[in-house]
Amino acid sequence: MLAFAVDCCAWWSQAGASILNLPFEIFHLMLLPWEYGVRNLARRPVRTALTLVALATVVMLVFVVVGFIRGLEQSLSVSGDENVVLVYSVNSEENIENSSIAARTPSLVTACVDGTVKRFDVTHVSPELYLGTRVKTSESDGGLGLVRGVSVAAPLARRSVKLIDGIWPGEGEVMVGRLAAAKLGSSDEAMTIGNSVEFEGRSWTISGRFAAGGAAYESEIWCRLGDFQTATKRQDLSLVAMLLSPGSSPAEIQLFCKERTDLELRAIRETDYYASLQQHYKPVRLLAWFVVVLVSGAGIFAGLNMMYGAVAGRIREIATLQAIGFRRRAILFSLVQEGVLLAATGSLLSGVIALTMLNGMAVRFTMGAFTLRIDSVAILIGCGVGLLLGVVGALPPALKALRAEVATSLKAV
Amino acid sequence: MKMNLTAALVYFSLLAVGCGQTETATTPSKAIEVDMRYAATTEPADAVPVGEARSSSEDGQDITLVGVIGGSSKPFVEGLAAFTVVDPKIPSCADEEGCPTPWDYCCTQDQVKENIATIKIVDDSGKPISKDAREFLDLKELSTVVVTGKAKRDDQGNLTVAASKVFVRTEE
Repeated sequence: MLAFAVDCCAWWSQAGASILNLPFEIFHLMLLPWEYGVRNLARRPVRTALTLVALATVVMLVFVVVGFIRGLEQSLSVSGDENVVLVYSVNSEENIENSSIAARTPSLVTACVDGTVKRFDVTHVSPELYLGTRVKTSESDGGLGLVRGVSVAAPLARRSVKLIDGIWPGEGEVMVGRLAAAKLGSSDEAMTIGNSVEFEGRSWTISGRFAAGGAAYESEIWCRLGDFQTATKRQDLSLVAMLLSPGSSPAEIQLFCKERTDLELRAIRETDYYASLQQHYKPVRLLAWFVVVLVSGAGIFAGLNMMYGAVAGRIREIATLQAIGFRRRAILFSLVQEGVLLAATGSLLSGVIALTMLNGMAVRFTMGAFTLRIDSVAILIGCGVGLLLGVVGALPPALKALRAEVATSLKAV
Repeated sequence: MKMNLTAALVYFSLLAVGCGQTETATTPSKAIEVDMRYAATTEPADAVPVGEARSSSEDGQDITLVGVIGGSSKPFVEGLAAFTVVDPKIPSCADEEGCPTPWDYCCTQDQVKENIATIKIVDDSGKPISKDAREFLDLKELSTVVVTGKAKRDDQGNLTVAASKVFVRTEE
């Protein structure tokens, strides 16, 4: 029975090999056995291992950079609600942190413009005071944190925000976003419920934690608007977030802002605001892609180095293969196969590490914090670069070795 | 054979580049179908500049106003036929200053506050037309326009004109 199974396997492997070799047989090309390339890698285990580490490191760096870009893009693309309009100061340009508008703005806008959602006599308008300030935790001396003073109407306009632990902040209390610790360069333990943080000369007790589906708010600290105004000795607001009812257009609010030039307001759909931030961070993303290219270039040199070394010591062997009838293309194919095999192994290793350890890791950034995102695009680019390193790194040394005369190479020392 | 193929590739590449350049150079700008219900064919007489209108006009008064489209980086309201105009006497940023948006008057912002008005083009019922003014009138930033309509004033001194006709001065 066992013998029969072995026979079957042998028959299938022969048939499989025949099918795989079919295109080559058409061109009368006899390939070197697959095992030849694999065994060659094992002949110099230290060099192979070092090259594998070098290639895996390169691919890992590609994963990190692409994960960074994808995380940043994802964070900005999920931030913002199509139905929310932000009203803030026309003088603050794109920086809402610098905005200062009159405290009466929410009531003025809602009185003059229809189209805001109103249910059970509650208008879905969130007045907010938002600024970047130094925040101390029990573990850190203070990092730049983003604090938003909000009213109880905030969740009506900020629909993605969900309280995942604890309660809504009361007087002298705050609730912290899922990524607030990363933004402050502190540990998650320091931001657990019951602990205190210190900012604007006051100590605040953490009463809850919230998530916002990966949106930018997740790196913020939220407290009561009145408390925050008192702490900062300000009576103004930074912005007003308004939830539009279905069928309403932000143009009505924009027209109000144009007509009331004395208020110096501007209105923008929240998704457009974050799209403008995407544009703002375009140079960062371009620089990151440039890093990917540079790292890939370095990786190609690592591959070249390894394959030059591998080929240099096998000149006679390669000439012998030619002498016994293997065509140059077949030998080239085998050498490229060695490079690709090594690069694929490196890519696989890096992919596993990136998926298990890097994916979801919080990264501090100027606008807040976001998580590295090793998604299908990152995997495709990382592994694609890995395989490219194998091919491009193996081709030049292989071509060089094959260009030499067979007779001369056979006599090489 | 190889030489012929290379020559053909070079020829077609040059042809493609050449065609592209010609197309770019001759492509006309997007044509606007001007809606004559709101466009004036002749310039209305006795138009007052924005600054003067802000000091002399009253709420509900018929007015003919002249101004230059601008006052902010985005003077047009997207989705509604409305825009802001600035008094023609206020200079916008000069070309040599290299300002990418000279219509925001960033160099003379302090003078804009008292010399700005909002124009909203309205239909017969007095409601603003619900499409961008640039879609049916030949308007762009820094165009000089003369509008006729009804002034709307508030206690803060803001001036809005509910315009029925817009005349666009051609550039000299």
